[in-house]
Amino acid sequence: MAALATTGLTACGDDDGGEGADATSLKLWHYEGANSAMGVAWDRAIEIFKQEHPNVTVTFERKAFEQVQQNAGMIINSAEGPDVMEYNKGNATAGLLSAQGLLTDLTDEATRRGWDKALSPSLQTTARYDDKGVMGSGKWFGVPNYGEYVMVYYNKDLFAKHGVTVPTTLDQLTAAMDTLVAKGVTPLGTAGAEYPAGQLFYQLALAKADRAFVDNYQLYKNPVDFHADPLKYGADTFAEWVRKGYVAKDSASAKAEDMGTAFIAGKTPMIVSGSWWFGRFKSEIKFNWDTFLFPGNTLNAGSSGNLWVVPANSKAKSLAYDFIDITMRPEIQALIGNNGGVPVAADATKISDPKDRKLIEDFNRISSSDGLAFYPDWPVPGYYDVLVAGFQGLINQSKTPDQVLDAIAKPYADGVAEIKRG
Amino acid sequence: MAVTLTPAGTTRRAPDRHHRGVTRWLVLAAVTLAALLMLVPFAVMLLNAFKSPGDYSTNGPLSWPSEFYTRGLVSYWREADFPVKLWNSTLIAGSVAVLAVLVSLLNAYALGIGRVRGRLWIVGAFLLANMLPQESLVYPLYYFAKEAGLYNTRLAVIIIFTVIQSAFGTYLLASVLGTFPKGLLEAAALDGSGTWTTLWRVVLPNLRPTLAVLLVFFFIWTWNEFLIPLVMLIDNETQTVPVALASLQGDRLMDAPTTNAGALLSLVPAILFFLIFQRTLSRGITVGAEK
Amino acid sequence: MASTDTLVAPPATRTPTPPGRRRRRDLTWWLYLLPGTVLFALVIGVPLGYTGYLSLTRWSGIGDPTFIGLDNYRRLLDDEVFWTSFRNTLAMIVAMVVVPTLVGLVLAAVLFDTIGRRFRPRTAAALRAAFYLPQVLPVVVAGIVWGWILRPDGAVNGLLTAVGLDGWRHDWLGDPDTALPAVMGVMIWVQLGYPVVVFMAALQRVDPELYEAAEIDGAGWWRRFRAITLPQIRPETFVVALTCTIAAMKVFGPIYALTRGGPENATNVPSYFAYYTFFKKLQVGYGSAVSTVLTLIIVVVALLFIRAQHRAERRDGGR
Repeated sequence: MAALATTGLTACGDDDGGEGADATSLKLWHYEGANSAMGVAWDRAIEIFKQEHPNVTVTFERKAFEQVQQNAGMIINSAEGPDVMEYNKGNATAGLLSAQGLLTDLTDEATRRGWDKALSPSLQTTARYDDKGVMGSGKWFGVPNYGEYVMVYYNKDLFAKHGVTVPTTLDQLTAAMDTLVAKGVTPLGTAGAEYPAGQLFYQLALAKADRAFVDNYQLYKNPVDFHADPLKYGADTFAEWVRKGYVAKDSASAKAEDMGTAFIAGKTPMIVSGSWWFGRFKSEIKFNWDTFLFPGNTLNAGSSGNLWVVPANSKAKSLAYDFIDITMRPEIQALIGNNGGVPVAADATKISDPKDRKLIEDFNRISSSDGLAFYPDWPVPGYYDVLVAGFQGLINQSKTPDQVLDAIAKPYADGVAEIKRG
Repeated sequence: MAVTLTPAGTTRRAPDRHHRGVTRWLVLAAVTLAALLMLVPFAVMLLNAFKSPGDYSTNGPLSWPSEFYTRGLVSYWREADFPVKLWNSTLIAGSVAVLAVLVSLLNAYALGIGRVRGRLWIVGAFLLANMLPQESLVYPLYYFAKEAGLYNTRLAVIIIFTVIQSAFGTYLLASVLGTFPKGLLEAAALDGSGTWTTLWRVVLPNLRPTLAVLLVFFFIWTWNEFLIPLVMLIDNETQTVPVALASLQGDRLMDAPTTNAGALLSLVPAILFFLIFQRTLSRGITVGAEK
Repeated sequence: MASTDTLVAPPATRTPTPPGRRRRRDLTWWLYLLPGTVLFALVIGVPLGYTGYLSLTRWSGIGDPTFIGLDNYRRLLDDEVFWTSFRNTLAMIVAMVVVPTLVGLVLAAVLFDTIGRRFRPRTAAALRAAFYLPQVLPVVVAGIVWGWILRPDGAVNGLLTAVGLDGWRHDWLGDPDTALPAVMGVMIWVQLGYPVVVFMAALQRVDPELYEAAEIDGAGWWRRFRAITLPQIRPETFVVALTCTIAAMKVFGPIYALTRGGPENATNVPSYFAYYTFFKKLQVGYGSAVSTVLTLIIVVVALLFIRAQHRAERRDGGR
């Protein structure tokens, strides 16, 4: 039993030159779909890597998200793990592994190879973690290739049919939704069983928020009062939107997939969701559609995408750095952009499709004005399910906004206390 | 053995044949209807297995496919190296089925026929394997497998499931053997057979239908296991079908049509296995027919 | 289950064995138990002890656990979600034990006795396969397919509209009042094939002459069912009921795939709660405490079951 209990902590690699520069194989994992923007771009990056390292065999494996998400700690704590892999950003994932010394410190590489210049400060938030694994400061443990943000997707044909124009303020948005409701159309698709409802709530809260709130909520700088704005405003408005029929009352059991396919089928005029849908919508939607930023918000849910991390047990660290460097090159970044993804370091003028270009320009605007507010479920591990249950209560109108705020405040406080304890 | 059941049906001399004739057709109709209802979800799955993603997204899961779309499936087959996963799953589920039946038989023989003292407690203890929620086994088994050098090997999964499944098998067989006809055992003892011979010559033949059921169950249960293979088998070379299927569900997006098609593929071996053993399952065998 | 109308209770034949001989005899039998016991100790015994130890620690799954004594158990006592999830366990027992066992008994008897004998056994086998098929489907996929059927614009609501029951349309999995019954329905669908197959195999052990004799005596279907079928397959009935109860108490996959315990925890079950604590909240110590308590409860229930079974066997004459 004692032997089992010692888990064999691996100290992060002291750079003694033996970084596996002479390694002859690179084991690489990620979990993006083969046809997704990242999948396509990274395939190309692997090709380039092979050309530049003709003596290295690359073993690429596409993993199940669930497997990496659930077992990453176990995997990279063994000798069977990869040399470089995609991993989720945030305190509960990359932060936790970094605090346990399971990830390689990339700070020197980031300065040497200029990754720190390529990424805007708000994107660096998710790349750096302190010694307790809290993001935002400290050493580099990961490098993001792409970004994501939440916006409004709308069906142009339905807007035209019902005489609605693109809103630029929250009031205009409500007015537009009133018009649609009057015509018997549910304006906004959402999904109570998964992340969309929580993100809608967060967007609404961010309408009243500033950066200090985000720092308090996400980085625990100060305690957060759930019964004051912005969170109170978010919950109240969410409840009001349900009452007024902006959001379907039978969407409590809907999954994100249901929301997305309903939009693709032209059944809902608008959804508030993330850039991860963009590529799929582009290939599957047959009507005219476009996007706009959530009206009036300067802060938006969003962040860097997942990170490239190098496990401390990696046997080919220097090859791993080379690979990451390739993914940051303009060619690969442009490939992400041209396939409906949001590159972090692309020249927007190199993007051929106007719709793609707009997606990236919008992101760059948010990112450069420090407008990325991360996601509502990030602060504490397991918060996702808490939020889902809470907003199902609002969609079903079985709970008041105050009750929901109570229900989500306690797990937040408990979780933060747990993290602060280390 | 092989006292089939058909003669009983055909040689019946029923005085109220006419009346029975109507009822039995009604019963057949009702059971068939219920069986068809059971199959509805499979029809839905089939409907979506050969839809293009665009078709599925636009027209929903309940529409008729607009074309017979197999490209997704074909590319997934190649991409996921599906034959390897099929082989891994077959190897693991097959080994577990055989080994677990064997272990169960030995255990149950000692408990049910041998009536070892404290057998109630022993059966209870074995059943623990069945009672533990699997998620609580994950961390200990991970460290254990790592120490033993079995992490990321199919052997680890085979051993684990042999134990888990044989818990059920031990319990079922011990219960059945508790009612094993004494006469047969006494006859064997009079013939001078030892316990070992009795097991294979007398007990095994009589248990054959039950063992076949166990074999089928173990195979199918192991085939569909997800959590422990997910933890233990991290390489694409060692992974099983359900783990490969899960790779179609991303962080925020999923590929529903391909998941359905993949599921259809993963069903085939399990169903084949079931059908092969259908015959054993239905073979009439009566206690004492072997005498 | 009435045990009084047993047609074939053999007389009790229990001859006392001298203690010395018995011990030696037991030793031989223990050889048969050896492989199973060793494997069991490795795969279950050691991890069980380790989980017990982990339940006394605070641990995120990596690094070294911190010993904190009984804190996790104290916390568990106050954890409402955990205890309310047990209420749903009762519903799961109804859906995974009571209904499938009862319906399975009748179905197996009908398939075996009526359809297998009045029609061809092959017909019975085909029907049995249909009932068993849901057990074969990977649970993740079953979750997706049932989601399509039960969602607001799904097949069930479509059917209701088609037959003019528009008012009955409902968000089956979204409304906390209907989510649990809907999940129960799916569980019955998943579970039914298992007892049917076990019971049909059990019926094959039964001497067909019993049925023929009973029929010649003019016993109707119901009488044969009660007097022959039920007592003859009682061992299997116990096994099915117990294993289904265990499965119901630790049910996880279908809940995970269908509702993730929602809406508003209406379908949360202890095992999902444990999983969520282990892998989403990363509180392995607390998760170990949850699953240790869950295991203890299951063990107690199982022991009560086994004792009842043992008594029933004894009552039947120590066969």
